Amino acid sequence: MIDPLKRLGMLVLAALVFVLGVQTASAENTLEKILSAKKIRVAVDVANPPFGILDKNGQPDGSDVAVARQLAKDLGTEIEFVQVPSTGRIPALLAGRADVTIASISVTTDRAKAVMYCNPNGALSITIFAPQSVKIKTPSDLVGKRVGITRATLEEATVPKMAPEGTKIVWFDDLASTVQALLSGQVDAAAMTAFAEKTVADANPSKQLENKLLVTTAFYGPIVRQNDFELRQWINTWLFINTQNGTLTTIYKKYTGVDLPPLPTF
Amino acid sequence: MHYAFHFNVVWDHWRELAQGAWLTIRLSALAMVIGLVVATTCAYAKTTGPSAVRWIVAAYVEVIRNTPFLVQIFIVFFSLPALGISLDANEAALAAMVVNFGAYGTEILRSGIDAISHGQIDAAKALGLTRLQTFRHVVLFPALKIVFPALASQFILLMLASSVVSAISAVELTAITNSLQSTTFRPFEFYFVAAGLYLVMALGFRAVLGGIYWLVFARRGRI
Repeated sequence: MIDPLKRLGMLVLAALVFVLGVQTASAENTLEKILSAKKIRVAVDVANPPFGILDKNGQPDGSDVAVARQLAKDLGTEIEFVQVPSTGRIPALLAGRADVTIASISVTTDRAKAVMYCNPNGALSITIFAPQSVKIKTPSDLVGKRVGITRATLEEATVPKMAPEGTKIVWFDDLASTVQALLSGQVDAAAMTAFAEKTVADANPSKQLENKLLVTTAFYGPIVRQNDFELRQWINTWLFINTQNGTLTTIYKKYTGVDLPPLPTF
Repeated sequence: MHYAFHFNVVWDHWRELAQGAWLTIRLSALAMVIGLVVATTCAYAKTTGPSAVRWIVAAYVEVIRNTPFLVQIFIVFFSLPALGISLDANEAALAAMVVNFGAYGTEILRSGIDAISHGQIDAAKALGLTRLQTFRHVVLFPALKIVFPALASQFILLMLASSVVSAISAVELTAITNSLQSTTFRPFEFYFVAAGLYLVMALGFRAVLGGIYWLVFARRGRI
């Protein structure tokens, strides 16, 4: 057994090596690097149906993954998926483990301080979800109830603001744990995207889960590191073309079952 | 690629970090004390109990030592409610940590008990000590002294492993760190500071355990 102190020492050492590595600058911009390496590294969250899931063979699938595959195909490069939990979507980018994150990251002004958004490629709504027997009609009904949310998601950014004082908010690291907590009765209600709720409700008919309250609706888009303007411009160009030719609409409809609303740009 | 470190954002949130670290300390210390009671009971049962009891203890130790801690936590938190046992996140975390430390502790204590020479136990019998008296004074105390460093190491490992209980929504240091990094987008700063806090806590616990060893075993000079 390794002495835990030695283990910690090694961790700190590894972290230092990593930081020094990160700070080695390079003249090539990220788009040029992707093109010369003929490989784009895309961070995806495969525990977030229907945007990111694993198919029967354990391969990434879902609407975000389909968008990423098509994007890499049109860029003419191979694709490497960097699978991250919801909390790792921005850190993976900041640490240089991925070139772009395509993981239904809703556009918020806070996140835009850390990363740059490309134009939106989809829309989602966050709602409060609970068994039929739990009475929630207005936000004030949340008082005294345990509401599960997932860290680093739009629900984390919005639910604490709309929930009145006295709501017991419970944080989980990934959507799967939040769902599991709801199904096992460890929380009274949970907040997630309406699409995730549909997947969960369909898979657990005996729980009689239903949509209770709309929290917010939002657009989401790919994100890149600050200053990667060339890559962002290429992705925006790609989004423009694939919005026009209907590719994004087809992918969205295939995975979510609903029509893609008109996408705004910025 | 350049990354500018901004540690001032960490100091803005020192209260939350301190609260998280405090829960880590409380959970670990409680788990150690209760776990040690479990381990002592099991080690006693395993060395002196009837064969059925020995078999049950052996099964407990092997099952816990050969399954991941994260899975054990998930079972306590997500699966026990189906059997009508609903523990909140902190209780579930504590229960899983006690069960985990209890199993490792049993095995560590057993090795200490095995190291006690049989002549010593025979001598206790000859002096007319009861079985429990023999276990307490002649077996357990010297055995604890022998395995104390191993127990201390295992305890530090338990404290570090407690970082995974954030998965079931217990708001200890790692959970707080995850929340803060996801709302401030400063993952490096917060994880570095969390690693530093764990290091300080590990050194602190080691010092306290060293003090306990000195007070209870070394100073008295008893074998």
